[in-house]
Amino acid sequence: MEFGEESSPALAFEKNAFELTVEDVYDISYVIGRDLLKISSTGEEVSDLQFRIVRVLEMFETLVNKYNLSVEELKMERDNLKAELDRIIKEGSPSSGHANQVVVDLNDPNRPRFTMQELKEVLQERNQLKAQLMVAQEEIQLYKSGILPQPEPAMADVDLDTPAAKEDSSSTINEKTTIGKL
Amino acid sequence: MAKKTYDLLFKLLLIGDSGVGKTCVLFRFSDDAFNTTFISTIGIDFKIKTVELQGKKIKLQIWDTAGQERFHTITTSYYRGAMGIMLVYDITNAKSFENISKWLRNIDEHANEDVERMLLGNKCDMEDKRIVPKAKGEQIAREHGIRFFETSAKANINIEKAFLTLAEDILRKTPVKEPNSENVDITNGGGVTGWKSKCCS
Repeated sequence: MEFGEESSPALAFEKNAFELTVEDVYDISYVIGRDLLKISSTGEEVSDLQFRIVRVLEMFETLVNKYNLSVEELKMERDNLKAELDRIIKEGSPSSGHANQVVVDLNDPNRPRFTMQELKEVLQERNQLKAQLMVAQEEIQLYKSGILPQPEPAMADVDLDTPAAKEDSSSTINEKTTIGKL
Repeated sequence: MAKKTYDLLFKLLLIGDSGVGKTCVLFRFSDDAFNTTFISTIGIDFKIKTVELQGKKIKLQIWDTAGQERFHTITTSYYRGAMGIMLVYDITNAKSFENISKWLRNIDEHANEDVERMLLGNKCDMEDKRIVPKAKGEQIAREHGIRFFETSAKANINIEKAFLTLAEDILRKTPVKEPNSENVDITNGGGVTGWKSKCCS
């Protein structure tokens, strides 16, 4: 790098410490090196000092470099988080965010409040009772027509088994047995 | 059991879009009646009708399913036990026809592999509102190797024929055996058994 004016590299000394770049550190090294050269040309022994100053400048370079990288990383992280936040806010808007959810009005007396499983069980019971009623009706018909002379145990001949019913606990099976005995 | 009122029990299932007339088809067959008011079936219902085929009394237990998607989990659990399935669409409703493939997939997924299938194009009395040509129904049935009827629950067209044909198809592949021994098995282990055999012997 060519500096037209002698003062240009020296400007780095006037900068805010947090705004220093690695280039500024090189400028500072240049200026200090030049000053050391002036002193040594007067014949004074400065090699030890020179060595230490170089060492401090190296440390300085590392620190500035690291600081700038950290700032850059944090900026990227911040931008990522901002983008993420925007996305979540957009998705959370009522128009699109709850597409698969139903809003239930708790004041609506007709609101849904039973589960599919409960409905399934009620329907199964309804159909079982219906089957029993049919069996009973059939039997009454037989009595009326005189085909059955005397009471006799009847079979529930409507098998209402569904896969779900078979999975049920033994209580259901017991119930079925009872139906069979009726 | 001398008083047994039937020789065989066949379980049938009606499926198809909501509003195509499954319940009306069944009501026409079981009660020979028709009702114009539309009441959506809740989940699953059934009716019983005993018919006579080849000298055998066959009790048909016909399950009527809700076509609405929200009952899907309930209705599909009844596919497994079905020996025959009637897939109903509405000839005045294109969507119900398009959904046939969806219903056939449901059968493949949930029913027994050897279940007897049948396609019904219902409401064939409404010729002025027809959208699905009869030929299209015949074509899709042919593609899937299943029987097809156009029916009208309202005008009582082909309803009994459809059910009896399906029952005959099931009867044809039913092995000859002592009927319903498995139903009797239900009472096994019960204290009543001894008493019953004494009384019935």
